[in-house]
Amino acid sequence: MSFWSQVVEITRVDLKVERRLGDTMRIVLPFAVVALLVFPLTLGVDLSAISRLGPAVFWAIGILFGMQVALRQAAHDDPERRDLYALLGVDPAARFVGRTLSGGVLMLGFLGVLLVAMIALYSPELPDSWFGPLLLTSILVAVGLTELGTLAGEVTADLHNRTALASLIIAPLALPLVIGASSTLEAMTRDAGILPWILILVATDLALAVAGVGLARPLEEASR
Amino acid sequence: MTRVRVLLAIAAAGMVVGLWFALTAPTDTLQGEFTRIINIHAPSMWLAFLAFGLTALGSAAWLIRRQTRWDRLAEGSAELGVMFTAIGLFSGMVWGQAVWGRAWDWGDPRLSTTAVMFFVYVGYLALRAATPDPTVRARRSAILGVIAVVQVPLVYFSVNMFRTLHQTQSIRPDGITMPREMAIAIFVNVIAFTIVYIALLVARIDVAKAEEKAAAELALAGDAVKPPRLSEVKDV
Repeated sequence: MSFWSQVVEITRVDLKVERRLGDTMRIVLPFAVVALLVFPLTLGVDLSAISRLGPAVFWAIGILFGMQVALRQAAHDDPERRDLYALLGVDPAARFVGRTLSGGVLMLGFLGVLLVAMIALYSPELPDSWFGPLLLTSILVAVGLTELGTLAGEVTADLHNRTALASLIIAPLALPLVIGASSTLEAMTRDAGILPWILILVATDLALAVAGVGLARPLEEASR
Repeated sequence: MTRVRVLLAIAAAGMVVGLWFALTAPTDTLQGEFTRIINIHAPSMWLAFLAFGLTALGSAAWLIRRQTRWDRLAEGSAELGVMFTAIGLFSGMVWGQAVWGRAWDWGDPRLSTTAVMFFVYVGYLALRAATPDPTVRARRSAILGVIAVVQVPLVYFSVNMFRTLHQTQSIRPDGITMPREMAIAIFVNVIAFTIVYIALLVARIDVAKAEEKAAAELALAGDAVKPPRLSEVKDV
C-alpha cells in the first residue's frame, strides 16, 4: 500500500469511528454552544459589547473546545490497535497525516457550526467580504490544532489524566493559532493587511507538520 | 557530593560578587533604584533560554542515543528553566509595577509569550510526573522537549516582531545601548547566575541518579512485601 493510500484509509477509518461515537457533534459542539450562551450572561445586557466581542469569543471558545475535538476518543488508539498498525507495516508518518486530515475535517465542521451559532447569538459587526478570509483562517486553525492534538494525544496516550494533561500541553503551544486567527478578522475590520497573520498560521501549520512527520517514529514508540 | 558542595560554594560566592556589582552600578535617572532589578531579571531570562535550549539538546540526544544521562540533563534543565522563568517573570512584574504603573501589560508581547513559554514547560514537567515508566517517560518528554523549544526564539524575537512596550535587546552586534558600568554589572550577574545554574543542574542530576537507584531497590523490596487482599483474609 502506498503512503497516500494508507493516509486515505486511516482518514476514512477515523471518520467512520467518529460517526459511530459522535463525540464531536453530540457532546463537544453542544457544550461549546452552551459556552457561547454563558459568556454574554456574564457581561450583562450590553448589546454593543456582546456584538464587538463576538469574533474574539468565537476564536477563544473554538480553540479551547477544539482541543477536545482534537483529543476525541476516536483519535485515541488502544495498545492493541497500535500494535496492529505496526504489524501491518503502516507508516507512522501516514498515521500522523491521516489523523490530522480526519481531525481537520471534523474541526472545520465544528468551527463552521460554532460560527453560525456565534453570528446568530452575538450579531457581530463583520467586515465586508469576511467569508473567504474567515474560511481560510478556519482551515489553517483546524489543521494546526489537529496537528497539535495528534502530537499531544500520542505523548499522553494511556495516561489516566490524559485529557487534562494533553490540554495543558496544547493550550500554550496553540498561541500562534489564537493570535493569527483573531488578528485576521481584527485587521480586516481596520482595513489593514491580513497577509502577515495568514503567514503566521501557515508557518505554524508547516512547523507542526514537519515536527509530526519527522518525529512520527519516536511518537509511535512513545505511545506504546 | 563534594563536587556539588564545591560548585554551590562557588555559586554562592558568585552571587555575592554579583550582588555587589548590582548595588554599586549607576541607576537610571527616571527609574531610580528600580533599575537594579534588571540585574536579576535579565540574567534569569538568559538562563531560562539556556536551560530550555539544553532541554531540547538533551531531548534530541536521547532520541538519537537512548542514554539515560541525556534524559537526566533534559529533566534537570527544564526544572531549572521553569524556576528561572518564574524569577524573570516575577522580577519583570515588580519592575513593571514601579515603572509602567502596572505589573502586567497586555500591550507587551514579550510578557505574554514568556508566560506561555512558562506554561509549555510546566506542561512538560506535568507530562514527566504523570508517566511512571522511566523509558516511556524519557521517550515522550524527549518529543515534547524538542517541539517546545520553538517558544524560545518566539519569546526572544517578540520585541522585534511586534509593537511592544518592552525595550529591544540592549546588547547587539553593533554595540551596547546602555552605560558601560550597568552592562558590566549585568554581565557579572549573568556569569554568577550561570554558575548557580550549573551547580543546581549537577545537584539535580545526582538526585535523579539516586532516585533511579532507590526505585530499583524499592521494586525488589516491593516484590517481597505485598499487602494482604481482603479476600485472602479468612478470619475477619
